[in-house]
Amino acid sequence: MSIQPYSEDQTDALQEVANIAMGQAGDSLARILDNFVTLSVPRIRQIVVRELADTVTAMVGEDEVSAVRQAFYNSLRGEAIVIFTQSGADELASLLGYDCELDAAIEQELLLEVGNLLIGAILNGISETLGAELGFSAPSLMAEHTPLREVLTPDQLSWEQALLVEVNFSVEKHRFKSHLLMFMTEETIDTLRDILDKFMDDL
Amino acid sequence: MAVPLTVVDDSKISRKMVIRALPPGWDVEITQAENGEEALAAYRAGKADVMFLDLTMPVMDGYEVLEQLQKESLNTFVVVISADIQPEAQERVKKLGAMAFIKKPVKTENIVAVLEEYGLL
Repeated sequence: MSIQPYSEDQTDALQEVANIAMGQAGDSLARILDNFVTLSVPRIRQIVVRELADTVTAMVGEDEVSAVRQAFYNSLRGEAIVIFTQSGADELASLLGYDCELDAAIEQELLLEVGNLLIGAILNGISETLGAELGFSAPSLMAEHTPLREVLTPDQLSWEQALLVEVNFSVEKHRFKSHLLMFMTEETIDTLRDILDKFMDDL
Repeated sequence: MAVPLTVVDDSKISRKMVIRALPPGWDVEITQAENGEEALAAYRAGKADVMFLDLTMPVMDGYEVLEQLQKESLNTFVVVISADIQPEAQERVKKLGAMAFIKKPVKTENIVAVLEEYGLL
């Protein structure tokens, strides 16, 4: 099945919506980390799930990562995944004010907390801007200090093609970096196309 | 007389969102620019007494536009419009000479507040 790619205007609109949502997520992150967070330009791709690991490796450019995921549903369906680079995961504890050796349970809790914060803020931002209702599941830990290729196996997503929206957040002073990936289902690609058209018509 | 206003953003949708949020009673002549270079060209052509400026853009970004305006002592009223709402981002652009900061998505009431504060409306 081939899915019609988005037009230039649809991509532009989605990028702007992602940009607005990302600004809110970045502000939340800056507050808890008490540091200025550098925001990326959102990247949007229609991807083949079979090539998931290649696509994401090219974007993230990292080997070992820790990752948190949350499913979202209602108007738009898919999976949101936050990937912490190795240094990003290591820096998280000190940025959050822990200066002692961490036990595994605390480290996992921090990853879940920050992953949840970013995903929640992005999804709320998208939902508000587009007027689309979204619900989301509780966050779960996908992997810790694991090669990216072992984390993002194609069976992580149960459909063939997906729309990927990627944004990343970094704190330059602290080598902190995390990528937020939103994978939308095939069906959602068409639903979102209609939502974006309506959004633009209303302008 | 209509105020020459340049709206600078690489996203067409974003420019449209800004233009739609302009206060209905504000008499402006609108020019659109897709990056910092186009914005400075618009300024030099007398089309930017007021500039609504995005920060993240290709070719020349909003920070560079502010630096250039400062360097050449150019006199335009710049309002930065950005999705990056961190207090530090707002401080940075004000240090570079921006008069005000409005967060995306832009609301008419936020534009009105800035214009009224500076007696432009």
